[in-house]
Amino acid sequence: MRALLDASFSADFGEVHALVGENGAGKSTMIKILSGLLRPDAGTLRVRGSQVDFRSPHVARALGVGTVFQELTLMPSLTVAENLFLRNEPQGRARLIRRRELAPRAREVFARLGINGIDPDELPPALSLAHRQVIEIARALLRDPEILFLDEPTSALAEQEVEWLFRLVRDLREQGKCVIFTSHRWGEVADLADRITIFRNGEHVATRRQLTEGEAVTLMTGRTIDRMYPERPPLAHDAPVVLEVRDLRGEQMKGISFALRRGEILGVGGLAGQGQRDLFMTLFGARKLAGGELRINGQAQRIRKPSDAIRLRMGIALVPEDRKTEGLMLPMSVRDNLTLAVLGRVAFGGVLKRSTEQAYVRRAVQRLHIRTTRPSVQEMATLSGGNQQKVLIGRWLLAESDILLFYDITRGVDVGTKHDIYELMMELVAEGKSLLFYSSETEEVARLCHRVLVMREGRVAAELTGPSTDAEAIVAASVREDAA
Amino acid sequence: MTAGAETITPEPRWRKLLASLTPDRRRVLYAFGAAALVFAVGELLHPGFGSTASIKAILVIASFVGFVAAGQTLVILVGGIDLSVPWVLNGAAILLVTSSLGRDGRAAQAVLLTLALGLLTGLVNGLGIAYLAVPAVVMTLGMNGIMEGLTLGVSKGLTCGSCASYAPKAVQDVVRSNVLGVPADLFLWLAVAVAMTFLLSATTFGRRIYAIGNNNTAAFLAGINVRLMTVVLYMLSGLFAALGGIVLVAYGGQATLGMGDPYLFQSIAAAVIGGVSILGGRGHYLGTLAGSITLVALVSVLLAENMPDWGRSVVYGGAILVILLAYGRERQQL
Amino acid sequence: MTSVTQVPPYRSRTRFQHFTIQSAPLLLALIILAGMTGLYVGLFYRQLSRFPGNFELTSVVNTSMPLVFAAVGQSIVVLTRGLDLSVGGMIDLTNSLAATHMHAGAGSMLVWSLLVLLVGAAGGAINGVLVAYGRLQPILVTLATLSIYQGLAIKTLPAPGGSVPLEYTKILANPNDPTGLGFVALIVVIWLVFRRTRLGVDIFAIGNDEEAARAHGVRVRATKIGAYVLSGTFAAAGGLFLAATTTSGDATSGDVFVLTSIAAVVLGGISFFGGRGSAIGTVAGAFILTLLINVLFFASIDPLYQSFFQGLFLVVAILLGTLIRRLVGMRG
Repeated sequence: MRALLDASFSADFGEVHALVGENGAGKSTMIKILSGLLRPDAGTLRVRGSQVDFRSPHVARALGVGTVFQELTLMPSLTVAENLFLRNEPQGRARLIRRRELAPRAREVFARLGINGIDPDELPPALSLAHRQVIEIARALLRDPEILFLDEPTSALAEQEVEWLFRLVRDLREQGKCVIFTSHRWGEVADLADRITIFRNGEHVATRRQLTEGEAVTLMTGRTIDRMYPERPPLAHDAPVVLEVRDLRGEQMKGISFALRRGEILGVGGLAGQGQRDLFMTLFGARKLAGGELRINGQAQRIRKPSDAIRLRMGIALVPEDRKTEGLMLPMSVRDNLTLAVLGRVAFGGVLKRSTEQAYVRRAVQRLHIRTTRPSVQEMATLSGGNQQKVLIGRWLLAESDILLFYDITRGVDVGTKHDIYELMMELVAEGKSLLFYSSETEEVARLCHRVLVMREGRVAAELTGPSTDAEAIVAASVREDAA
Repeated sequence: MTAGAETITPEPRWRKLLASLTPDRRRVLYAFGAAALVFAVGELLHPGFGSTASIKAILVIASFVGFVAAGQTLVILVGGIDLSVPWVLNGAAILLVTSSLGRDGRAAQAVLLTLALGLLTGLVNGLGIAYLAVPAVVMTLGMNGIMEGLTLGVSKGLTCGSCASYAPKAVQDVVRSNVLGVPADLFLWLAVAVAMTFLLSATTFGRRIYAIGNNNTAAFLAGINVRLMTVVLYMLSGLFAALGGIVLVAYGGQATLGMGDPYLFQSIAAAVIGGVSILGGRGHYLGTLAGSITLVALVSVLLAENMPDWGRSVVYGGAILVILLAYGRERQQL
Repeated sequence: MTSVTQVPPYRSRTRFQHFTIQSAPLLLALIILAGMTGLYVGLFYRQLSRFPGNFELTSVVNTSMPLVFAAVGQSIVVLTRGLDLSVGGMIDLTNSLAATHMHAGAGSMLVWSLLVLLVGAAGGAINGVLVAYGRLQPILVTLATLSIYQGLAIKTLPAPGGSVPLEYTKILANPNDPTGLGFVALIVVIWLVFRRTRLGVDIFAIGNDEEAARAHGVRVRATKIGAYVLSGTFAAAGGLFLAATTTSGDATSGDVFVLTSIAAVVLGGISFFGGRGSAIGTVAGAFILTLLINVLFFASIDPLYQSFFQGLFLVVAILLGTLIRRLVGMRG
């Protein structure tokens, strides 16, 4: 289960270098190694020609490396100022930290970098995802790194904020620093990068100065873009509405309404952190609904917890974003994970029936081509990321739910598995199921969905159908200042 | 891409057996091995230690730990802990003698009442932990204090009129009599072991327990009612603590103050030695059973060595640490 | 330079508001302390027709001091998301050591005080190494070392006895004046300094998010060991104060501190999830617990029911804390 197989690349000082590749290609793992967070099993690292060993993040920092990780690392109980200066605080006599100076200095730093509207005494959980991303960037810059890694720095940033970041990055280049970043948005990559390195399945594939998007996709996926995505089954004109929501309100939802029809793949797009997660979790009953109406097949329903959603006649299923923390029980077996939502059906009077369970497991393994030798015993943790994701999807296939909520399910999954998942999605809607689909890769949303709802600030800002559902249009609708 | 579930040629039996030896099952075997080791060392140092009579005696004492540890195991499996065991046990013992007054006619009611007490304290624990988000350490600690206060207060420091009663003869017989040469109490323990193993390995309830212990967010998102199950498990823990109190007082005859105190450490240690992870999600009751035997055998060896009180404490703690280092370590980042 | 936009609606708060919200658990502890003090004074007056005076204050302070130290040490470990059950055994041990070896004379008192503190640090180091390098769970490690330290205590002092020089008692637990409050002030100062040290900040960081802390260059293992060493040292100090207050030794008198130190930490508003809270709250919590016993006494409550009220109080206090946190919008 290796994330990187033979990955090499080099970047120069005074350069902006982009790392591109699909989810699961190894970019994040590479960055973690280069920041001292992970140790490589083999290989060498050289900075300015001399070999280095990043034994720990501490060592990497000392050698001039700064990183903004994809998973934000702000401490929830420390203020913005405390977070900003963590391990880098202004010190006074006897090396004691000058706490009183933290907030004023934070303001200075924000002013210098052109950031406004962030209160240094606030706690991170009260801030928007975009603000948190900005603070993380500011924190990395404070240390004046020689080499700066940015892993998906713009996933939550709107147009103006992205411009701000670009300006900073260009300044760093002028100063002779090296900036290495990853992004899913081709526009940004083309705009900012001097050189582009492409990873695929843990291996370095190419490094170029110039690249068209089509060439990039082919290199990233090993297929041409047309072959990557299967054909969408057409949506019947008279397909009934299976799920209808009106004016949904929640922690981050400010009034969402839409209808999902049978056999439809409805996409949800927009910048990260605009309420998409809230929507999915609330539809599944994992979060409280503050207001609004929900109808399944025309009948009003109250879904207060996940078992309510699962047990409906139509059945709703949620495949969440982070399979490790929200989906799978890694130390348990493949079998245990697969049948978790249908325990009632594989037991009689509460007692498990091995033969029935085996049959269910076999069904899921065969349908999804899950690579497992002994599902009753094999631990989930030993499966590859792609296979793990398949098991999670398999759990809900066995539950035979008719409405499937797929939230960023291709994260950390290899190309081959992705393709399998796309094909599965098409099969499912052809069978009459309905899908609500969110992905951090806009291309996927554009290519797979019949219709796309672009969310912004807890509302549906735009609805795109037909020929206008391409990635560019989605991105444009996501970052446009004025909501539609 | 090939489907994976079946191979063309049937596998040799021994291969299948070896593969089914998951790390968790191996730990159970180690725990039994440790018990055997302690008996062997005991026999070496004190010939006669490994005799049938000696083993039976040790097993009976171990069963007391085993009963309490059953409840503790359930709660630890979901990532919790029950620190209220000492005074639930003590309170239950006193309740049994005072409500039965030593009379067989009232034995059944007394036992049921006592078990109900255990269920009730567990219910309060469970509600606080599951629905009010009180950390398990704090809730059960508070409950222990509450039970201590209630027990001491209501029994007037064990000086009340009926407090010096004995447990009913019928109940005493269950623990002390011999059936086919084996103490009846061990049959009771066997029944508990069978029930626990069945519950954990063969029922949907058991499967859900492991799911919650491994990842309670994912369990919730799979439709499991995590809160309700947590309450039920704490109720069972209280039940087993009360059972421990009944069996102890039946064995010893009268209730004393502080009789439950050693069982807190021992119930936790037995589970951990048996391979139950304190973080939850891994382990079997059979391991706890082996752990109880190991623990009690260890203490017996130390006692036989005429080791002074202080030495026993030190060796006890040291032995636990050694066992923990051997296989209690948490995995590195997954 | 293009500026980053503000995402409306944005609620802006003053510095003072932030401070209040973020210190809510500490403020709650202080409020409960004030309430408990008021209750004590009221009941005292009702019973004895006079207000508590110098003698009562001195007595409360001296009785609280061992718990104050034990609980502050426990706080530091809880901040890292750990638990130290061995404080009881450490107090047993240090109490016994002081009672058996300390003689009259400044030299003996000073040397033995330092030696005892060193013993506490060593015991803490053992805990820390087992947790950090052995990767064992704190609850299990400290449960085992509790047993070990208890055993060593009984070896040192098999039966209650020994003695502590009078001068020592006068310094630490002055029977005539509440000089103990000076030590309380010292602890508060130490805490405020601690929060401004590298170790202090790192401990808070680990408690918040250990992996993120590591990613930022925090030396997680060394910091954890540091936390347990501090806990052991504070527990040892608690043992010295206990010896001074009781003027003799008892190898089991420290056992009760396992539970009471945790209770004081809870009352002080330190979160069991780590990374949040102030030891000043814990100091208040220790005083609250001592006053509670006095309150129960003056309310003529049967002393046998004491544990009942302590347990009930503990649970109610933490529920109150959770409620307050939810109201001000903090994570539970």
